[in-house]
Amino acid sequence: MKKTTPLQYIMIYSALLLAVAWSIYPILRVITISIRPGNNLLTQSLAIIPADWSFENYIKLFSDHPFGTWIWNSILVTVTVVITGVTLASTAGYALSRFRFPGREASLLSLLVTQMFPATMLLLPLFIMLSSLHLINTYLGLIVIYSSTALPFCVWQMKGYYDTIPYSLEEAARIDGASRFMAFYKIILPLASPALVITALFSFMSAWTEYIVAAQVLWYKEMFTLPIGLKSFQANMTTEWGLYAAGAMIVSIPAIALFLFLTKYLIGGLTLGSVKG
Amino acid sequence: MIRGIILYKISPFLRSRILLTLLLFLFLMLGSALSAEKTTLHLWHPMPAPSRAVLTELVAEYEKLNPDISVHLLYKENEEVRMAYMSATGFTEGGPDLLYGPSDFTGALVEMGIIKPLENLFTEAELADFDPKGLTWYQGHLYQIGDELGNHLALVYNKRLFAEVGLDRPPETLQELIEFGKKLTLDKNGDGIIDQYGLVWNFTEPFFFMPFYASYGGWVMDADQNPTLNNEAAVKAFKFVTDMRDVHGIIPIECDYDIADSKFNTGTAAMLINGAWSWAKYMESPDVDFGLAVLPINAETGLYPAPMVATKGYYLNPYLEGDRQDKVVALMKFLTGPEAQFKYASRLATIPTRLEVRNRPEIANDPIIRTSMEQVSHGKAMPISPQMRAIWDAMRPAYQNVLGGSMTPEAGAAYQQELAEQKVAELFEGQDVDPDAVNITAIIVYLAGLLLVIWALYKLFIAFLLPLIRGIPGVQVKESRFGVLMVAPAALFIFGVVVYPFFYNLIISFSNMGLTTVNDWQIIGLAQYGKVLTDSQFYHFFLKTIIWTVVNVVLHVVFGVMLALLLNRPLPGKGLIRVLLILPWAVPSYITALTWRGMFNIDYGAVNIILRNLFGMEPISWLIDPTNAFIATIITNVWLGIPFMMIIALGGLQSIPQELYEAASIDGATAWQQFKKITLPLLKPVMVPAITLGIVWTFNNINVVWLVSNGGQPGDQTHILVSFVYRAAFNLYRYGYAAAFSFMIFLMLAIFSVKFMQKNKVTETAY
Repeated sequence: MKKTTPLQYIMIYSALLLAVAWSIYPILRVITISIRPGNNLLTQSLAIIPADWSFENYIKLFSDHPFGTWIWNSILVTVTVVITGVTLASTAGYALSRFRFPGREASLLSLLVTQMFPATMLLLPLFIMLSSLHLINTYLGLIVIYSSTALPFCVWQMKGYYDTIPYSLEEAARIDGASRFMAFYKIILPLASPALVITALFSFMSAWTEYIVAAQVLWYKEMFTLPIGLKSFQANMTTEWGLYAAGAMIVSIPAIALFLFLTKYLIGGLTLGSVKG
Repeated sequence: MIRGIILYKISPFLRSRILLTLLLFLFLMLGSALSAEKTTLHLWHPMPAPSRAVLTELVAEYEKLNPDISVHLLYKENEEVRMAYMSATGFTEGGPDLLYGPSDFTGALVEMGIIKPLENLFTEAELADFDPKGLTWYQGHLYQIGDELGNHLALVYNKRLFAEVGLDRPPETLQELIEFGKKLTLDKNGDGIIDQYGLVWNFTEPFFFMPFYASYGGWVMDADQNPTLNNEAAVKAFKFVTDMRDVHGIIPIECDYDIADSKFNTGTAAMLINGAWSWAKYMESPDVDFGLAVLPINAETGLYPAPMVATKGYYLNPYLEGDRQDKVVALMKFLTGPEAQFKYASRLATIPTRLEVRNRPEIANDPIIRTSMEQVSHGKAMPISPQMRAIWDAMRPAYQNVLGGSMTPEAGAAYQQELAEQKVAELFEGQDVDPDAVNITAIIVYLAGLLLVIWALYKLFIAFLLPLIRGIPGVQVKESRFGVLMVAPAALFIFGVVVYPFFYNLIISFSNMGLTTVNDWQIIGLAQYGKVLTDSQFYHFFLKTIIWTVVNVVLHVVFGVMLALLLNRPLPGKGLIRVLLILPWAVPSYITALTWRGMFNIDYGAVNIILRNLFGMEPISWLIDPTNAFIATIITNVWLGIPFMMIIALGGLQSIPQELYEAASIDGATAWQQFKKITLPLLKPVMVPAITLGIVWTFNNINVVWLVSNGGQPGDQTHILVSFVYRAAFNLYRYGYAAAFSFMIFLMLAIFSVKFMQKNKVTETAY
């Protein structure tokens, strides 16, 4: 590669800094609102840290609301969804990458098709279905729905990653006497760990941030997950914006942290496969 | 490779850990599903935080008195509690035992048949003490027992700010309101920006416009529930409100509920029109010296503005029986009893529905309750028939168009009448189908459905079961079994969840299911599809959806690839920059979309302030003008979508061998030539699947549009297809129409994506 001249460096950095400002400013706004005392939504000041900042809202979350319980519930649901998602996506993606069975192409296409259902088509029947299966007020119903929403994308991207792993590796293992499953489990799966990490991340995001289905399924405040708990600060006319913003930050922090640690896996690990090939 | 081996080495330990945690979770999940021995009664309500606190205390008291009962409260927002109750009780015969809400729920709930008449569950003596306005009757039955007369708007004012300009009383006429308003609208530091407004309120909502309409002699419907919106009163009232803003300048150009509330609460607005639910908050505010007055009389007509008054109270689930019903009714009696009402009134200055409580000295002598009562006496009862919802949906766009300047008051009045008549008709559509006639269409639809199912099962058999039994041609049976078994769990999971909703939606789309036919709907064939395809709105929003999708995806890809190109080189601090650029993806979009909405505010939004400080630009009315509002939603979604494309592009760039560029350099290719001949062609196979997904996700992205435009504002114009169907169809309970509409969206998207993939050869090797 040609050497980058100092002038080019200056231009690249200023472009990137502009992009960074644009990308983080709205998030900084949320922080600002969360540390502003009371409910003062309006100010013409652009300062990120208001003069009279305090952690009042964060303290209130835990003292006046069962916020700790909600966090625990969310962790419970999310971890289960992540485990289910990773298990199912890693196996299905593998089969779709390595086997040429008649339903393969149709399966890959229908994975994409499931992403096309408008929300208005699914909401009511999903509720009726969960209700007739007696899954209202259980986490099982939520877990099944969350796992299956994230799955199509995860399978697709696992398949894409397996496609980049040469077939010869398994063949070598088979010659050494490993069974088909052992070859997958011991050789291919560890190699696919960047993609597994991304599948986990996607499953995490779909479970950690969802509230529409959760609001239909859970009736007990003690059973709430974080996002519906957060929703309860939002009222038709009297939203408690300070609390809402503080709660929003608490919902966001684990997600941000995960992205922070996993960026290096995301790049290169996120490879969407093609339908054929 | 090295990382993979390390992971592999520690994995046995990790595996046992994961297994253990999984077992623990399953155990916990079962535990939480077990119910206690007590009878648990469910009550859903939309009470804001202050009344919620009183309700919680009352319930605790009741549980103490009745140790065998436990009452579970669930709060949801007004609209959400109604929708949730309708799906739970209307579609599955479940739902809570009690529903609390304003009386305007009544009509729709009765039409759906999901609340129980109460006249036989209460004795005459028990009802004797109630103000007749506190008991909601509809079509000859008693459906709701109120504990409060509320939701009426009145004038709240800040005595301190009044005193500062030498005023010692609230205005007595609307004309004086304007005069006072001018005195109280101040630019304190002389920088040309108004620091204190005379009057603020949520004036873009029709509910908050009603009092003025009534003060010119207008009302929403006649005795037969027909809309009456096109008249002199509507024109004059429209003019009155727009004049306050444009001629007299006493109200801000842009003001929704939160802005009005916040301005008044922080002492930067002198008067506020707001409802009974909100006053308690201002009494406690350190910046407000609280004063309450009735909305002043209109001197031009001699009429008082008449806010709508709703009874708030309890509805009973119709599927209750026997002992449980007795328990629920007992709870209902307690919650509407004198002590409960006294508690609400003394703490929150609400108006009790029981006359005895109203006459107790603590209540009768409370100055706020007295003013509130006086305001109620000027008010009119909120209509409880379902037509009211259609009228709101018609008034909102017309009124907002007038406010935005795209319609004259006269045109707005005519438009809202026309729209209201159309929407009322839509509300009751599908009733003319004879349920007893032999339904040939139904037979055809079900037969076609059956054939579809058989075909699908056959395909599944060929695809999955046959290889399982006989093996894939050319592969050992054992091997093919392994392959199929690896896919099966995920496939079962996905299709198990999707199949039922898909067929349900398909069947409903051929039916006349609507407000009055939720439980006895009929298959009527393709009529709903006909309605969708002949509606000009469908094509209008289809076009908008295309623009929305194309602009978004193009900008996502262009900016994403640009950033990736900048980052794809050795650069100090690269890791940090990369992480910061990904952040919009990491924060849940419903949080950031709301933040963006705040940032687009005309006076207080960061966007306008930054534009003014940097470029000296005049403030842009992002959320009032329909075109600007649409641009605002696009800006928000572009912000959200860039990181995904950037990451994909970075991955793609890293897989391009460096030698190619070196070889090209030696051959003397310019940077641009290298980009065109090497980067783009090699990036394309990586980007195309991501773009396909991006298109599919963007096309149906209801969340961002809905949150940034606050449900389609202004005037229900900021919509894409999926948000429009949610607004126009579900809001008026047109389930059949909504299903057909949704299915059309799905079909268009499916056909488009398949074509797109074929054209771009996604179906060929990516690597």
